[in-house]
Amino acid sequence: MEQTTKLPESVKYDLTFAREIYSLENGSYIKQCMQCGMCAISCATRDIMDYSPRRLFNLIKLGKKDEVLKSNTFWYCTSCCTCKARCPRGIPLVDVMHDLKRYAIKNGYVDYPQAAFCKAFWAEVAGRGKVFEGGVTARFYLIRGLDEVLKAMEMKDIGINMLKRGRLPMFPPKKIKGMGNLKKIIRKAQEIQRKEEAR
Amino acid sequence: MKYSFYPGCSMEATAQANLVSIKAVASALDLQLEEIHDWNCCGATVASGVVGDFTQQVMTGRNLAIAEPKGQDVVVGCSSCYLSLAVTNKRFREDEHFRALANEALAEGGYKYNGTLRVRQFLEVVINDVGFEKIAKKVKRPLKGLKVAGYVGCQTVRAIPYEFDDPEYPVLMDRLTEALGATATPFPMKARCCGSSNAIADTKIVLDSALKIFESASQGGAQLMVTPCPMCQLNLDAYQQLVNKVHGTSYNMPILFFTQLMAIAFDLPPDAWALKYNIVPPGAALASFGVG
Amino acid sequence: MEKKIAVYICTGCGIGDALDIDALSKVASKEFKANICKTDAFLCGKSGIDLIKQDIDGEGVNTVVVAGCSSRVNTDVFNFGPDKIVERVNLREQVIWCHPGEDEDTQMLAEDYLRMSLAKLKNLNLPEPFIGENLSSTVLVVGGGFTGLTAALESARAGYKTVLVEKEAELGGYVGKMYKQVPMKPPFTDLEENSIPALIKAVEDAGVKVYTSAVIAKTAGGPGMFDVTINQNGTDVEERVGSIVLATGAKPYEPEKLGHLGFGQYKNVITQLMFEEMVAAGKMDANKVAFIQCAGSRDQEHLPYCSAACCIESIKQALYVKEKNPEANVYVYYKDIRSNGQYEHFYKKAQQAGVIFIKGDITDISESDGQLTIEADDHTMGTKSVADEFDLVVLANGMVPTAALGETVEEAPAEDEAAAASDEPKVTVAPIIKSNLLNLEYRQGPELPALKYGFPDSHYICFPYETRRTGIYAAGVVRAPMDMLSAAEDATGAALKAIQCIESTLKGEAVHPRSGDMSFPEFNMNRCTQCKRCTEECPFGAINEDEKANPLPNPTRCRRCGTCMGACPERIISFKNYSVPMIGNMVKAIEVPEEADEKPRILIFACENDAIPALDMAGINRLQYNPWVRIIPVRCLGSLNLVWINDAMAKGFDGVLLMGCKHGDDYQCHFMKGSELAEIRLSKISETLNRLGLESERVRATTVNIMDYDKIPAMLDEFAAELEEFGPNPMKDFQ
Repeated sequence: MEQTTKLPESVKYDLTFAREIYSLENGSYIKQCMQCGMCAISCATRDIMDYSPRRLFNLIKLGKKDEVLKSNTFWYCTSCCTCKARCPRGIPLVDVMHDLKRYAIKNGYVDYPQAAFCKAFWAEVAGRGKVFEGGVTARFYLIRGLDEVLKAMEMKDIGINMLKRGRLPMFPPKKIKGMGNLKKIIRKAQEIQRKEEAR
Repeated sequence: MKYSFYPGCSMEATAQANLVSIKAVASALDLQLEEIHDWNCCGATVASGVVGDFTQQVMTGRNLAIAEPKGQDVVVGCSSCYLSLAVTNKRFREDEHFRALANEALAEGGYKYNGTLRVRQFLEVVINDVGFEKIAKKVKRPLKGLKVAGYVGCQTVRAIPYEFDDPEYPVLMDRLTEALGATATPFPMKARCCGSSNAIADTKIVLDSALKIFESASQGGAQLMVTPCPMCQLNLDAYQQLVNKVHGTSYNMPILFFTQLMAIAFDLPPDAWALKYNIVPPGAALASFGVG
Repeated sequence: MEKKIAVYICTGCGIGDALDIDALSKVASKEFKANICKTDAFLCGKSGIDLIKQDIDGEGVNTVVVAGCSSRVNTDVFNFGPDKIVERVNLREQVIWCHPGEDEDTQMLAEDYLRMSLAKLKNLNLPEPFIGENLSSTVLVVGGGFTGLTAALESARAGYKTVLVEKEAELGGYVGKMYKQVPMKPPFTDLEENSIPALIKAVEDAGVKVYTSAVIAKTAGGPGMFDVTINQNGTDVEERVGSIVLATGAKPYEPEKLGHLGFGQYKNVITQLMFEEMVAAGKMDANKVAFIQCAGSRDQEHLPYCSAACCIESIKQALYVKEKNPEANVYVYYKDIRSNGQYEHFYKKAQQAGVIFIKGDITDISESDGQLTIEADDHTMGTKSVADEFDLVVLANGMVPTAALGETVEEAPAEDEAAAASDEPKVTVAPIIKSNLLNLEYRQGPELPALKYGFPDSHYICFPYETRRTGIYAAGVVRAPMDMLSAAEDATGAALKAIQCIESTLKGEAVHPRSGDMSFPEFNMNRCTQCKRCTEECPFGAINEDEKANPLPNPTRCRRCGTCMGACPERIISFKNYSVPMIGNMVKAIEVPEEADEKPRILIFACENDAIPALDMAGINRLQYNPWVRIIPVRCLGSLNLVWINDAMAKGFDGVLLMGCKHGDDYQCHFMKGSELAEIRLSKISETLNRLGLESERVRATTVNIMDYDKIPAMLDEFAAELEEFGPNPMKDFQ
């Protein structure tokens, strides 16, 4: 657009993306951020994030979809809840980050290994009703491909130690008995969730 | 006292030491833990990233629905499971709209949860339902002189802030180790994040987080660390060697579940100590107490 | 009255262990021949009080000297009625708690303090209150806006006859023009209906006498006896009132000066008030609106201060837009959102409604086809931001107090040309702006002096509503920029102060800050030289003058600080219980050892408001300090008369230290100018000292606030060390 060529540094406000994010389960909390920065100084992984949570929220407000979804901020959130406990505006930041992860996965922004981990974890839960840590690992490498497996080889000592100490069972736990019911519940829950977010 | 018990997935694999020692300590303290029948995974903090909080909480709600008829408090040993169950339970109790929708989904499987239960961390149950005094009386092997860093981690105290301890600087686990005769060492990083589930996806996060925690614990003079959290235990124990390799350090810090330390102090049979699962051997720190 | 003096020395709280009580008793009974001198181990206890009462009843004692704790404690316990003089000797906080026990110097200190008190009594009398004639209990409220109406209602409901004067034909003021108002009650999130119509009705129902289309043509007199001329539609009406609440409000800052924000250039750039009127008239149909905060405020080019109400007013107006169309796009550009107190909830509410807040400075506003484009520096993201297609841009153009509108009164040229020409320091004079609000018949100018930016406040921390004219209380946005909740509180507070003033004046007591003080200054006019220092220096405009420059005191306006007493070169001004000779006697009563004894003496004049409490606190904290000091409390350093310093130097004191409050822009003086005046007077005495062959540095002033108590020992040691370098005062041996 003309304006942007005149001022390459400038941003224009595109509310469409912001509104889409606000419609997510915890998305509307973002609106009440007052940019105090408490989350940024509380975060255990802030130093490796592209944007601190408050900056990410501001980018959402500005409608910068690509920057937001390509950022590593929500993937690097470890759910330690420090920011959530401290936020003076009561924003459940951890839960907002969950929504952003989901939104990113849904929109194909899955370059970060954490995205693969989430998907692997969920596949375990959805298939068995319980998580088999060996299964999560295997699925993770399946999604990420050979490079990641080679990197993992460097960590084989850890795996061997755990095996030696009996902490990596070879066989997964049995499916839960109510797996069929659980699947129905999950399906219904997803349906309700979609309906709620479209409201 | 009878409780419904939610073990969580990790207790069947990487955190078997947690399960073994919790069961042993519980029976020594007359706490009857009845495992919730056919429980399912709570989704931890990971599932929400794929399916959203609502679906994850409905899934978690299935466990509470199964437990509800017994009316007993639900006890959780794993911090991440505690976070899921406690937050879900709070929503069922306080958010009517959520409760209605969630029950609509649970009904598909023939379940309903009315939000009548309490969800509790095992650490809190031990402290509040048993108490330090009674715990101290159970101690047969006082751990006098043992310097212990109480690593509470994040989710135990921040799931619901101020539920039972300070979310910024928790102290109850230190009082517990003192009740066992040990010395709780200064440990500013006692509630700092360990890197959580990033161990596989982005190991560096865990290595860097763990380094800060080891630094802080050893500056306080700790000989070993105790934790209530399987994820913390795993990251700090299994990855300690790699931390040393990558950061050029030489930490040799045994990481025990606090229940393992209780089992030792109560002088329960060595099987209950579950030390065989520990990767960093605790022998050196505990040798003078006849352990190892 | 013939004084029958009884001295009671308390030996409790460790006094008996630390001091030689017999020796102390001898000072009273032998040196000063007190009628009675007794000791008790627990004087503030029942037996102690009974002991005193027995002597009052049985022996006719009418002057009680209590040597024990500080006069700041147990005031109610040692109160024997209005016809008894009670004098306290501070042996506890200022002697044994800050000096070693069983020590020669400590004993000398205690004995001196007892001597000082007994010497003081010689010229001390019971004050007789000044009761004015024909005192009025009516409260006058000037200004019929939100604050004025609230103040009038509060005053009337408290049972006081109330008169309300409004310049416009209708009551209601600025708030009256609003479509809706900001929340005034929990949960502080919802727009409220305009409360003005209900308020007007309540004021009428409460029986307030209302003058509309009326202004104050003249205000004469003082508290309890203000004679106010109200001009209504050209006709003068007289009202006698007891006190006045000034609630004339503020005006929006002139938007014509905000051309850089597009006002006057683009028709769709409007002010907050214009927007308010547009919405009230149902003519607002914009769907993309920007609010620009600090349009003029916090800007050195325009209003240097924060106008305090604009943020929440803009939040409110943003919600108007959202109320009409929830899908409308609303932006607020701000420096800092200052939604004080409960209004944080209101701010959050607007955020939840989808109002977008951008922290940034506007760099450009342009227009094309009636739609506006705003460029700004976004400070949270560190980028430039552009937003366009605005239907309306609303400037939050801040407020200017009505008291600031008008010419500043020129300072009267000094009578004494020579004094004016010299480079002697002069007291800074608070500007008086001829704003035509009260038209005071005061010697010191027609309106209230301004504290800053034209706001007629006096001491913003300790005494809100208090102006520098006793009995006149400013409230609402004329006093300071504020939001509606604060204005409601201000109105109530000022009404309460106005009532307090009426009640105190009826009893002949000072209102503030020496509440209950019944003394007032008396002038021995035979010796007056018409120098006008008293009328010029009174910080409260209490003293008018006649055409021959004779002072005309107005005792009900007086705050009893004694500044006039300190100012008078002829020493003709005194209070019954506070006078130049009284303090002079105290100075003279102190025993100054001869040079050979190597016991220097430092005299301290300490302000009762901050320095004395700080000295007491040093004692409470058991901080030890220099034993050579002798402390004399003064009402205010403004009452310092230079003759006391002459007395002290002639007596052989090695140095004199004045401990007063901070002055300057953020002054702490309870009487505004006291410490500043004292320092100016001090600068004038240096010449005299030099003539006597004394170093002028022997006399100096310092500022002490109540929290400085821990610095006092070092402060005194430092001064003592400097005095030591000068050597002993050569006057010592001539006394």
